[in-house]
Amino acid sequence: MTSIGTGYDLAVSTYSPDGRLFQVEYAEKAVDNSGTAIAIRTKDGVIIAVEKIVSTVLEIPGSSRRIFPIDHHIGFGSSGWVPDIKRLIGIARDEAWEHRKSYQMPIPPKMLADRVALYIQAYTLYSSLRPFGASPMMAGMHGDEPYLYLFETSGAYYGYWGCATGKAKQLAKTEIEKLDLSNLSTRDAVKEAARIIHTVHDDSKDRLFELEMSWVCKESEGKFTRVPQDLYNEAVEYAKHSNNDDMDDDEEL
Amino acid sequence: MSALKPGETTIMAVKFDNGVVVGADSRTTTGSYIANRVTDKITQIHDRIFCCRSGSAADTQAIADIVQLHTQMFAVQSEELPPVKAVASIFQGLCYQNKNQLSAGIIVAGVDNVNGPSVYNIPLGGSIHEEDFAIGGSGSSYIYGYCDKVFKAGMSKDDCVEFVKNAVSLAMTRDGSSGGVIRMAVITKDNVERIFVPGNKMPEQYLG
Amino acid sequence: MNSTEILNLKNQDVTENGTYKHTLQPIVTGTSVLGLKYKDGIMLAADCIASYGSLARFRNVQRLHPVGKATILAGSGDMSDFQHVQNLLEGVMLQEHCFDDEQEIGTKSIYKILSNVMYSRRTKVDPLWNKFIVAGIENGESFLGYVDLYGTTYQSPVIATGFGSHIAIPILRKYAEPRASDLTEAEASEILDNCMRVLYYRDARSFNKIQKAKVTSAGIEITEPYSLSTNWDFAESIRGYGA
Repeated sequence: MTSIGTGYDLAVSTYSPDGRLFQVEYAEKAVDNSGTAIAIRTKDGVIIAVEKIVSTVLEIPGSSRRIFPIDHHIGFGSSGWVPDIKRLIGIARDEAWEHRKSYQMPIPPKMLADRVALYIQAYTLYSSLRPFGASPMMAGMHGDEPYLYLFETSGAYYGYWGCATGKAKQLAKTEIEKLDLSNLSTRDAVKEAARIIHTVHDDSKDRLFELEMSWVCKESEGKFTRVPQDLYNEAVEYAKHSNNDDMDDDEEL
Repeated sequence: MSALKPGETTIMAVKFDNGVVVGADSRTTTGSYIANRVTDKITQIHDRIFCCRSGSAADTQAIADIVQLHTQMFAVQSEELPPVKAVASIFQGLCYQNKNQLSAGIIVAGVDNVNGPSVYNIPLGGSIHEEDFAIGGSGSSYIYGYCDKVFKAGMSKDDCVEFVKNAVSLAMTRDGSSGGVIRMAVITKDNVERIFVPGNKMPEQYLG
Repeated sequence: MNSTEILNLKNQDVTENGTYKHTLQPIVTGTSVLGLKYKDGIMLAADCIASYGSLARFRNVQRLHPVGKATILAGSGDMSDFQHVQNLLEGVMLQEHCFDDEQEIGTKSIYKILSNVMYSRRTKVDPLWNKFIVAGIENGESFLGYVDLYGTTYQSPVIATGFGSHIAIPILRKYAEPRASDLTEAEASEILDNCMRVLYYRDARSFNKIQKAKVTSAGIEITEPYSLSTNWDFAESIRGYGA
């Protein structure tokens, strides 16, 4: 990537001769530097799990979270530059609240996704702007129906059953693909999400991390909230246990 | 303008199992002169959402136009039929925020995919009330008794059409500010049917 | 004030002499709400009617509005302003939700926010035409406060707005206030029913379809609408007008 920009990567308003926007791709690299974030959609809910890398033991546990509620029924999980994410969070919250005020009902996730994407996209049009170094995922409910979207740095977005961004996105995606998502219960999805984050976490590169998990589902009464503490503990236990099993397997080989 | 003077009309909406019936008279007055004897006070906001307007014609037409615009934006952006509640809320927002300069009493009724049929009443101050049936305008004050006695939850479509026809015609004969013809619309999930009752074919009633 | 200035005024009624007013009058209104402290918390009562002048126009209106998990806002006065306040507080609760700290804003804070709103609107000579009771439990302590269109506030073990402040307060003062800390739920409920009954007899804007609500350490509970028993038997034997 470094040498191939050759003058066409100085501004996001310029295409390269083969039709690429290097700044958008570089922004993607910025996202890939951050901790892994994954989301899993089941029949009746969505769960977001984030590997928040802790750079020093001096950091206060539970601070600077990387999962953000937007409205009662919608939340963002994030990878990338946290300040960039926070800008998008602000936009999303404003849009959601404006919708509530005007129509006295919650914004459908699809409509919010459209608006956030439009905003991200606008930052790929001007030489004076820098594209967002962020690739947030959005979990939400519309009635009883769960929705999950992942925004790319270009402003493109797609709906998913499961998605991953950040450092170990490839590995995480492979793990999510193994799950039977149409039959998985939301509680089990929480456990699997915890397991996947623990699995893909690279101890040799980042010693410390915190697992953040929030969900929106039937059990949370359609509200985007943190996963209840007992379920969280259970999931972490499950994650550690499965990873130890894997190691045992490795030793046997 | 006295504050409690509602629009010089009779308007009405009733909910039934799978739809709503809306109805209105057709008289527009300036003082005691009938400026228009065949007014259409039932305004379509979207495919399956109508409103009945009472109060200043200028105000309510302007509001209905604005709401129509917002509703169409909402519909294309959400890619689905707009909920009646959303449309009623846009009306309510406008009526509340501009309550001092508006004279508008509006009934919003329609059908959507989430809540089915619903009726909302937005009276003068800009509050919003969901109801099984709603009546409004100056003529409505003469038919509260009739409506409370005759309305039954779970009436059929035909019952509702008869109910609206009778109620509006009763109001029209007692209220000098209401009259002309009855215009109605029956809104269901699949269809909108307009019903017209000419001024010389009103239901029978005691005339003294 | 010149004509351009007058044209540019928003949300205000310009009068013929160039002054302006935006103070209005309540149009669709709710009558009294009552509240009292008892052993386990707070209990409130209100009827389900929104009047239009003397017309009993909307008879299915809930005037006891839950805000979060441990606070109730009871509103009398203009219903459109009441609904506006409900929306406003929904915004506050949403902001709270977005903090994601698993805490919820307390009753006292809600009361403070509301009284600030009420006072600032009256300072703009554009008041929200309501009298509110805010009730709830925060840190195990029950709270009962009043705030009105002027921004006036007070807290008391018994509160009533509107007609209730004339008719219900003496009853509440006698039966509820002295025993606030050991009133049982059944007693509290009965006292409120009795107040609402007298109000039904004597307040021409009241209606015999009421709701009660309580906030206890277990949370909020709002009853379905119900009617009170009334007595008219003594009227049968009354003849003439005493001459």
